[in-house]
Amino acid sequence: MTLLSVQDLKLEYDGRTILDGVSFDLAQGELKVIMGPSGSGKSTLLRCLNRLTMPNGGRVVFEGRDVLGPDVDERALRQRIGFVFQNFALYRHLTALQNVTLALRHLRRMPAAEADERALRQLARMDMQAHAHKYPAQLSGGQKQRVAIARALAMDPAVLFFDEPTSALDPLMSREVVNILHQLRDERVSMLCVTHDLYLARAAGGRVMFLDQGRIHAEGEVDELFGPNADPRIRAFFHQELQQAQAAQPISPAQPISPAQPMDGAQPVDPSGPAGSPER
Amino acid sequence: MSFLQILLQLTGGVGYTIMVTVACSLTGVVVGLGVAMLSRLGASWLSAVLGAFTFIFRAVPVLVLLFIVFFGLPNAGLRVPPLVAMMLSLGVIAGAYLAEVFRGAFDSVDASEVLAAEAMGLSRFQILRLIEIPQMLRFAVPGMINEFTTVLKYSPFAYTVGIPDVMKEAMSLSATTLRGVEIYLAVGIIYFLIYKLLVTGVWALEKRTRIPGLTG
Amino acid sequence: MISFLAQMLEYWPQVLSGLGNTLLLAAVISVTGLVGGVVVFYLAISGGPLRRRLTEGYISFFIGTPLIVLLFLMYYGLPQWGPKLTPFTVAVIGFTLNVAAYNARYLMTAFRGLDPDELQAARAQGFSDMQVFQLVILPQVMRLSVPALTNQVILNLKDSSIAFLIQYAEFFAQMQDLAIRSFRFLDAYLVAGAVYLALVSVVVVAARWLERRYVLPGVRRAR
Ligand SMILES: Nc1ncnc2c1ncn2[C@@H]1O[C@H](COP(=O)(O)OP(=O)(O)O)[C@@H](O)[C@H]1O
Ligand SMILES: [Mg+2]
Repeated sequence: MTLLSVQDLKLEYDGRTILDGVSFDLAQGELKVIMGPSGSGKSTLLRCLNRLTMPNGGRVVFEGRDVLGPDVDERALRQRIGFVFQNFALYRHLTALQNVTLALRHLRRMPAAEADERALRQLARMDMQAHAHKYPAQLSGGQKQRVAIARALAMDPAVLFFDEPTSALDPLMSREVVNILHQLRDERVSMLCVTHDLYLARAAGGRVMFLDQGRIHAEGEVDELFGPNADPRIRAFFHQELQQAQAAQPISPAQPISPAQPMDGAQPVDPSGPAGSPER
Repeated sequence: MSFLQILLQLTGGVGYTIMVTVACSLTGVVVGLGVAMLSRLGASWLSAVLGAFTFIFRAVPVLVLLFIVFFGLPNAGLRVPPLVAMMLSLGVIAGAYLAEVFRGAFDSVDASEVLAAEAMGLSRFQILRLIEIPQMLRFAVPGMINEFTTVLKYSPFAYTVGIPDVMKEAMSLSATTLRGVEIYLAVGIIYFLIYKLLVTGVWALEKRTRIPGLTG
Repeated sequence: MISFLAQMLEYWPQVLSGLGNTLLLAAVISVTGLVGGVVVFYLAISGGPLRRRLTEGYISFFIGTPLIVLLFLMYYGLPQWGPKLTPFTVAVIGFTLNVAAYNARYLMTAFRGLDPDELQAARAQGFSDMQVFQLVILPQVMRLSVPALTNQVILNLKDSSIAFLIQYAEFFAQMQDLAIRSFRFLDAYLVAGAVYLALVSVVVVAARWLERRYVLPGVRRAR
């Protein structure tokens, strides 16, 4: 069953075309990855889907209803979509727990005790209950990410949007994010994940779309997209990313990342992952 | 008359000095918050009007505005009680300065948090109340302390409209005893102690509501 | 209002001399306050801990006590011991002590933002402490403080009206005089307010120009 359907989405900004006719569907319980270089319009695309930005043309249908119409209840729509931002965007003046309860208290009008209980359950689901009373500044990047996900999940959204969930994390923590995505996928949470991180795009294990210059150039299973017959644009992007990755840090021989040799999705949980010491 | 006796004599006015300072500071916070919030939420023409308001009230001397309100308005048939006159002059001017402090503090609120709150489905007003104002007020503490200090330092103008504050007490005392140097030295010390109390108090309050990692 | 302005024209020389006195006082204390601020700043950062404590105490005391108290002490109090200073002298001394404290604080704030390595480097090159102060510290700190220092000039201009309370015949005192003679208090004070607004606007424009010219590129502003 189709949960979200996007047809021919267009957006211009100051005469520049940012989105140039994007179309795709997301089924109930599906995890879909949109991959593309920086500046290709990924964040903008996500923002158009919950009306944080209004596109100039096209159609978006979510849960059977037109999203872009004139009399859509914008705030009700947004409450159905969990959004996990690139830099987590946790509210810095609230504890992890308060970050999660905020929407429950003020949008669901839930009594404090009930909201706390529910929030603690979500934090436990992300293995963060021990840190419930810490402030964002006292959490590591990976921990913040988990709180941000718990915050999004607490409202029982129909779908989760991830904007570059690994870009602010180190490689070990990126692997943790992949594990979380797999956990949520196994729980049949619908997810749309946008990233320029090749590792994430491949390891997530969903269908992957390649967005470049506001257009989707290819869509397919991981292996097709990354295989020897890949779209030349993808190859070029791949090449560039790989060079950057190699320049940034030597890749361990145990985990080769190369276009010719697709990598397994699941990775072992690293014990020194997000539960470790907070970055300071 | 010993220095200690002078000090004791003057403390009769301390209550009024504190009352004027607190009343004008509160006026300033209310006006400043109102202006900063309206220019954050309102249309651009409204921000322009509010910008003109803050410019004008930061350009006119406190004493001049106080005289306009207290001695001038009766010409237009409007009689204003002394404390209200202080609030409408010193308080509103403090409000204009605080509006700038708050505007700057609002700009320190992370835009991505506001966006995340929007994406959550919170209304604009909820975002202001739940995210922006709680953070902004904490960022604004140093600026607020500066402004409250300024209010305290201009509060002696209250004597010109007949409020029996420390300054007024000192003037009558020096008229009868002719010991101006000791008296005004004592006044200076009293104001300095009130200032220290005020600064320590506000920082203590800040410390109690401090959030790790939010401010410096 | 029109008739008041006509009346004001009659007393034009008096009003004008008041305006002149206001500008004179504001200009003098802006200069002496700046020089005093630099001196206090130098004393604060160059000596041992005792001197630093003393200068910090000075800054804190003058920031924490009303200027008017100091002016009254000198003008109404001192004559009991002999010297009767003129209102202008009292105003210049009082304002200078006060403004210097504020300016020193702005300079201290800017100083804390400097890169300590840079000062170390200057010392390593063989410059004396005084040379480091003159050649490295002061030029940067002054530029960083341009917005705060020009703002202080605006405060000086406005606060010069306080001198009217010690009988200095500045602009507001003359307008007060006019108000009493004409019984047009509201008109007189409104005109006074408008004149201060105009004067401040001129300083603001000049300050913007100065800022554009002297603020170091790529350096955060002192606040
Ligand atoms: N608010 C904005 N104002 C101007 N240009 C924008 C804005 N948001 C995005 N853009 C432009 O839109 C393009 C896509 O941006 P974005 O969606 O952030 O890309 P991505 O997330 O894929 O890196 C970029 O070229 C960017 O410069
Ligand atoms: Mg992006």
